[in-house]
Amino acid sequence: MKHFWVQQRIPFLAFAVISLMILAGCYLFSITLAKTSFASGTILLLCILFLASYQLRKKINFLPLGSSSAWLRFHIFIGFLSFVVFAIHSKLQIPNGLLEFILFLTYYTVFLSGVVGLFLSRTIPYRLLSRGEEVLFERIPVHRRKIHDRVKVLVFNNTESDQGTALPDFYHKHLQSYFEGPRHQISHILHSERHLHQLKQKISALQPFLNEQEQVTLQQIAEQIQLKDDLDYQYIFQAIIKMWLFVHVPLTYSLIIFAFYHALAACAFASTSG
Amino acid sequence: MTDADVEAILENPPFAQIDPAGFKRSLPLHDIIKNDARIVGFDDGDIIVRRGDWGNSAFFILSGNVRVGLERGKESLPDEILGRHISKVKTVWEAFAQLWRNNRVPEVRKIASSSSKSTLHTRHTHNGTRIYLQEVSAVLDKYHTARLETGHWFGELAALGRTSRVSTVFSEGVSQLLEIRWQGIRDILRYDQNGKLKQYIEDVFRERALDAFLRTDPLFHDCQPELLKRIMEQVEFHTFGNYDSPKPFKELLEAKNHTTDAGEPVIIREGDFPSGIVMIRSGLARVSQRHYNGRRTVGYLSPGQIFGLDEIRAEVQSLTPVACNAQLSAIGHLNAVLVPTPLVEELLKQNGSTGSEDLHEAPIRIPAADNHAIKINDDTLLSQLVDHNFVQGTSLMVIDLERCTRCDDCVRACSTAHDNNPRFIRHGPILNQFMIPNSCLHCVDPICMIECPTGAIFRDFAQGDIIINEQTCIGCAQCASNCPFDAIRMVDIRDSKGNIIVDSQTRSPLTQATKCDLCIDQKGGPACERACPHDALFRVDMQDAAQVGEVFSR
Repeated sequence: MKHFWVQQRIPFLAFAVISLMILAGCYLFSITLAKTSFASGTILLLCILFLASYQLRKKINFLPLGSSSAWLRFHIFIGFLSFVVFAIHSKLQIPNGLLEFILFLTYYTVFLSGVVGLFLSRTIPYRLLSRGEEVLFERIPVHRRKIHDRVKVLVFNNTESDQGTALPDFYHKHLQSYFEGPRHQISHILHSERHLHQLKQKISALQPFLNEQEQVTLQQIAEQIQLKDDLDYQYIFQAIIKMWLFVHVPLTYSLIIFAFYHALAACAFASTSG
Repeated sequence: MTDADVEAILENPPFAQIDPAGFKRSLPLHDIIKNDARIVGFDDGDIIVRRGDWGNSAFFILSGNVRVGLERGKESLPDEILGRHISKVKTVWEAFAQLWRNNRVPEVRKIASSSSKSTLHTRHTHNGTRIYLQEVSAVLDKYHTARLETGHWFGELAALGRTSRVSTVFSEGVSQLLEIRWQGIRDILRYDQNGKLKQYIEDVFRERALDAFLRTDPLFHDCQPELLKRIMEQVEFHTFGNYDSPKPFKELLEAKNHTTDAGEPVIIREGDFPSGIVMIRSGLARVSQRHYNGRRTVGYLSPGQIFGLDEIRAEVQSLTPVACNAQLSAIGHLNAVLVPTPLVEELLKQNGSTGSEDLHEAPIRIPAADNHAIKINDDTLLSQLVDHNFVQGTSLMVIDLERCTRCDDCVRACSTAHDNNPRFIRHGPILNQFMIPNSCLHCVDPICMIECPTGAIFRDFAQGDIIINEQTCIGCAQCASNCPFDAIRMVDIRDSKGNIIVDSQTRSPLTQATKCDLCIDQKGGPACERACPHDALFRVDMQDAAQVGEVFSR
C-alpha cells in the first residue's frame, strides 16, 4: 500500500494543487459578488466532454494520439477533478428541480460506476489469474459444453457396462442443472467455495454405495466438477469486467444530453435566475 | 541431373580437388551432387538472388557471368525493380478513413489494382516464375555492380550462416549455374579431407565480413591494425545444432555425451578453461549452471554477444587460469567465431595500455555466470522463455495478466488496422503472470523465410520487421509450416464483393499467408500496444537486455 502512494504521489499532488486552485478561484470569484455557477458549470461541461472523448479515442486508436494507457490515466484524473467541480457547482446540495435532480443522479451514477470500474480493473485481473485456466470469454460456453459432454459420457457409458443406476440418479438429481450453465455466481464474487464443498460432501456420501468401477468414475466426475467451477469463476469475473462499461458508457451519453439541456436552460434564463 | 552431368561437374575444379575417398559409401560425393544440386540456366537480366531474401542454397557459376549489386558508391538497385513490396505509411486521412473504408467481409484482396500498378517484369520458365531486369545495360550504367565470372561461388555464406542475402545477383547474358542446397554443402564440408571448399568459404568470410563483424563489439574498437590482422587470420569458425529446426535435433538428443539435459550441443562446458572468447554470429546460445543434479538457465546470448571474456580478463589480472563457471550451449542452429585466448589476452593488455580497459586497478574478481548474457531475476521464467524459444523474438508480444482486464481493445485495434482482420489471437502459453499470445515474434532467426519460393515473406530493411507481401504470396504455406510458433495463418482470400477467389483451373480456393506485421503501414507503430489502456501489453525485443529486464522483472 505504501508503494502505491509513493508511485502515485505526483498525480495525487497535482490533484490536490489543482483542486485547491479551483476552490480558491471560486472563492475569489464569489467575493467579487459575481456568479460562480457559470464558471464552474463551464469547467464541468468541458470536463464531461473530455471524459467522454476517451471512448472516441478508443475507436480511433490507429491514429498517433498518444497511448490509450496515458489517456486512461488522464481520464481518471479529470474524472476525480470533475467531482470537485461538481461539488462546487451543486454547492453540495440536492437540487429540487426535476431536470437538475435527474442530472445530479446521472452524474453520480456515472462517477460511481467509474470508481467501481477502476476498482474492478485493478482487482479482477489478479483474481482471474488466481484460479482456473485462462479462457477467452466468448469460448467459455464451448468449454462448458465440452465438460458437460465428458460428464454425460462418464455417467451413461458406465451404466451400459455395469447396469448400475446410482450415477445416473446422482447426475439427474445434483449435476445436470449444475453443468447446464453458469452457477453460484454470487458465491464466486464473494470468493466462497461453500457450494463446491456441499457438492463434494454429496459425492462423499454417495461413495460407500458404489462399486469400484463406479467410484473411479465418480472421481473423474469430481475432477470435471472442479473444472466447471473454475470455468464459472472465470465467467463471472470476465462478465463483470465487461458489463460495468454497459452502465458507465450509455449513462455518459445521457449525462451529456442532460448537461447540454441544463446549460441551454441556464443561459436562456440567465437574466432571471438568482 | 543425369549421371553424365554429375561426372562432367566432378571433372572440373573445384569439385575435382575434393577427395572422394573421405566420403561414406552410403553417401558418395557423386550422390550428394546428384541429389542436392541442380543445374539452372538464366537469361540476361534474370534475378538469381535478391538482397534481403533468405535462401538455403549456394551457387557455383558453370558458365557465363553474373553481376552482384554493390551497396558502396552509387545507389543500390531499387526495391521496385526487384519486385519488393514498398511499405507505405498511411496518411492521417487514410488512417482515419479506415473507420468506414474497411471491408465488412474478411480477407479481401485488391487483385485488379495491384496487378495493374505493378512495375514487375516476370518471365515464366520450367523452373517457375522469375523476376528479371528489363534493361540490363541501363542498370549497369546507373548502379554499382561487380562481375563474377565462371568458377566463382556466391550465396554460400547466407546459406550456411542462415543469414539474409547481402546483395542482389542477376545474370549478365546467358549463364548456367550449379545450385547446391545447404545440406549438400554441409556434407561436402564434413567429408572432404582436403578441406578446400571449407577453406574457401572461411576465406571468403574472413575477406568480406569478419572485420565488420568483429568491430561490432567495443572490445575491438581500438584494436591496432596489426593485431586485428592476426586475429582475423587465426579466428576459428564453428557451427552447432540443426539447421532445419530451432528445436533440438533428434540426433543430438541421442548423443548424450555432447549435449545438455535439454539436448542442446555444448559449446563450452562449465569448469573448462576457455580456449578463447566465443562471439555469436547467428543463432542463440543458452548460459546455464549446475544446480543440484540438473542445469539451471541463467541467461542467453544473441548475435554479436560474447562468452568467456570475463574468465580471460580475470586470468590476465590474476595470472592464473580461470575456469568457466557457466556452460554455453546452442539453442537450435548457431554460428560462432572463436578468438583464441592468447590473442584476447594481447588485446586486453593493449586496451589496458591505451586506457580502454584498466586491468591493473580494477579489482580481481571471479566472474559471475556470464556477465554479457541477457538475464531475468526469475530463473524459472528465464528458463521457460528459453525452452519455448521465445528468446528468438525481436518483437515478442507479452501480456501481463495481473494488469490485463481481458477487454480485447488490443484485438479490436489490430483488426481495425488490418482491414477488420485481426492478426493475432489473445491466447497462448502463460509463464508466471505473462501470457505470450499467438502472434508473430519477428524472430532474430526467421526460419519462416527459408524456402519461400517467391521471397514474399521478407524482413523490412527500414524497421527489421518480418512482413508478407500480399502481391507475391502464392499461398504455398511453406512459411506457415516452418513457423514453430504457429503464428502464420493461411486464409482463403476474397474479392471486394466477398466472394472467395478460386483457382481458374482447379476451382479450389486461393489462400495466402497472414500474420502480424507490427502495423508497418500505420502511424505510431503497433496498434495493439498503443490500444492497451492498462499498460498490460508490451512488444519486447528479447535481444535488448534492458527491455527484457524492465518487462519481466516488474
